[in-house]
Amino acid sequence: MKLRAERTEFADAVSWATRTVGARVTLPALSGVLLEAGEGKLVCRATDLEVAAEIAIPVQIDEPGRVLLPGRLLAQLVARFPDAPVELTGESDRVEISCGRATFHVRGMQAEDFPSLAGPAEDAPSGRLRADAFARMVSQVARAASTDEGRPVLTGVQVTAADGRITAAATDSYRLAVRSLDFEDAIEGSALVPARSLQEAAKAATEVGGSVTIILEEGQVSFLFGDRRLTTKLIEGSFPNYRALLPDAHETSVVVERAALAEALQRVAIVAMGQANTPVTLTFTDGSVELAATNQEMGDAAEAVPAEIEGDGLSIAFNPGFLLGGLEATGTDRVRIELRDGLKPAVLRPHQDDTEAATDDLTYLLMPMRVS
Amino acid sequence: MHDRHPESILHVDMDAFFASVEQRDDPSLRGLPVAVGAASGRGVVAAASYEARRFGVHSAMPMVQARRLCPDLVVVGHHFERYREVSRAVRAIFADVTPVVEPLSLDEAFLDVAGAVHLYGEPPVLGEWIRGRVRDELDLPCSVGVGPTKSVAKLLSGLAKPDGLLHWPAGEVVERLRPLDVSALWGAGPRTAERLRSFGLRTVGDVADADASVVQRIVGDVNGRQLHRLARGEDPRRVTPRQPARSVSAETTFDVDVDDPDELRRHVLRLAGSVGRRLRRQGIAGRTVTLKLRFDSFETVTRSTTRPTATDRTHDLVTAAGRLLADLRLERVRVRLVGVGVSNFGDGGGAEQLALVTDDVDTHRWGRVERVADRVAERFDGVDVSYAALLDDLAGEGPDPDLREEVAEDLRPQRPSPATRTTRTPHDP
Repeated sequence: MKLRAERTEFADAVSWATRTVGARVTLPALSGVLLEAGEGKLVCRATDLEVAAEIAIPVQIDEPGRVLLPGRLLAQLVARFPDAPVELTGESDRVEISCGRATFHVRGMQAEDFPSLAGPAEDAPSGRLRADAFARMVSQVARAASTDEGRPVLTGVQVTAADGRITAAATDSYRLAVRSLDFEDAIEGSALVPARSLQEAAKAATEVGGSVTIILEEGQVSFLFGDRRLTTKLIEGSFPNYRALLPDAHETSVVVERAALAEALQRVAIVAMGQANTPVTLTFTDGSVELAATNQEMGDAAEAVPAEIEGDGLSIAFNPGFLLGGLEATGTDRVRIELRDGLKPAVLRPHQDDTEAATDDLTYLLMPMRVS
Repeated sequence: MHDRHPESILHVDMDAFFASVEQRDDPSLRGLPVAVGAASGRGVVAAASYEARRFGVHSAMPMVQARRLCPDLVVVGHHFERYREVSRAVRAIFADVTPVVEPLSLDEAFLDVAGAVHLYGEPPVLGEWIRGRVRDELDLPCSVGVGPTKSVAKLLSGLAKPDGLLHWPAGEVVERLRPLDVSALWGAGPRTAERLRSFGLRTVGDVADADASVVQRIVGDVNGRQLHRLARGEDPRRVTPRQPARSVSAETTFDVDVDDPDELRRHVLRLAGSVGRRLRRQGIAGRTVTLKLRFDSFETVTRSTTRPTATDRTHDLVTAAGRLLADLRLERVRVRLVGVGVSNFGDGGGAEQLALVTDDVDTHRWGRVERVADRVAERFDGVDVSYAALLDDLAGEGPDPDLREEVAEDLRPQRPSPATRTTRTPHDP
């Protein structure tokens, strides 16, 4: 193999591909990035067997070829290269990389050991979303996914594409986040995507910008950003029927300043921290919400925040971390909290006073804690 | 200090606990033969009401067999959370009588009422008072044995069932024990009793009259000495109140260092099972799971993970501890000790995170499987329900070390098993 690449493009390509390369790998080949030169372009690939990253960049090819190089080493090298064209020559057992006056010899691995993972089919239907909107949706929803590997289905985000909209839903069984978004180009289908992979795709969407193309296939989903692609395996199993869990009515509705409530919550929660399962109790009364936490060892804390309350006052207790997550997800200056009673799920939604103003179609449902 | 009352020990045992709770909560079940357990073909009876027991139905019996014995059997699902709640309420009643309470499981406990006698009356009166409160406040039947020792109190509560109280004055215990079958002795399971009978020791009196060394030769040193004493009405064990545990853990030190990851995983599985069983018996659940490893260099590492909710499910402990082990990515290291622990029992005012009812039921099913397995292990001496991955180990090593550990606690408090030790750290005073 012999090729010549532009430094910035090459560095970008390596850093894109190696995003899936973790510090600890089960197979040595998974620590590598596969470089394939041919037909005027260089394709870089890496995978952790769950997510595969791929990128193609234009390069000048004197001799096509294929090498598997240690990913982290390569990423560290190119990040420190001087601003000059990069040249690669040699075969897997010994690759010479030079840039400006610097020359490195890197021992590669057997390219055949790299797992071959299918990319999306050429003719697969593809949907398109605005990259920033997609990233925002993922950050709002994926936080509600479970990290408990004992319940694999709940570690995923259920993605459903129908009627020109994409809907993402995640739950760890204590809270449930659901959000919809309009497609620019619509597709139909559904997939249970590992939350971590989806967050990786969202990170990429933020970095690259523009739009993201989504291809849903049997067993995998691909996210395309121009010449860059992430393909992730899907989780097997069926996601709970979350629609049935969303309450259809509420007794009390509260509108409150998000930042004020979040700050008060964090202050009060300091007392709750370090103690297993200590809830923060919210009492909604005339014109205010009072937050309180008690810790047998540390003492107690209370703070009140003004709030607009419709309906009867009530008390409800939450895991402060879960409530904070919900407040962060809504994103608007003011949030709406819909309640039924102290033991029924609460619903958080973004709120705009101006009813004409657009808000994210987000529902963050939160189960309370029973205090005895 | 008062003089020790001669028969101050109470054993309180809820009658057909799970089944009684179900009958209480659903009046249409009252008077009917009820079995608690999974209705499906391969389910096992977790508890049977007295109406069902009349047909020969008992816990740990396959549901199919139970239905054959009692065609009108009403099968209801478990509500373990509710049983735990009721158990807490029962213990609150005990606490009104004496601080010296030693719970054995969700549905039975020993009480030493020596300190309460001068305030409230003789132990049988206190026993009836407890039965009355449990009946009035919880609408549930229980039986009470009153005697000078733990073993006699437990024996009497069994004889008093259902819904009764029996009391033997200290002076009459030895004589009254004599005609009973040897199986009445605590620690004499079916196998032990059979062995004693095969040597002609049929009644408790036979055992009491025999030389201690003879009994020891028949059933082993420790067990023999213990049975001989019990047969003579001697039982020095005190009612030891359980401090609320801060952590429950089990660890194993290997005779030969282990470097096979699969073997290590199997040990983790077994230890998690032991810890899970203990949590469930004590009716507690924790959020933090800890894995402890000591290498041949004596370097010790502990890794822990905290879940959003407390668990007492072996399946959850196995998942968490297994993951901690996998994350250590041990390669070619020699391990001399492995331990699994649970802590963070969440006394934050007893708050409990509620969960959505999702149709992802697998984990809940595990919980039920484990409860039934616990019942089977409780009922059948020497039988344990375990993971298939441990079958080879069990065949090779004889009884599960966990089982020995439980015997160790009940009969030999001073002698923890050398293989497995369970540590409980009590609250600081």
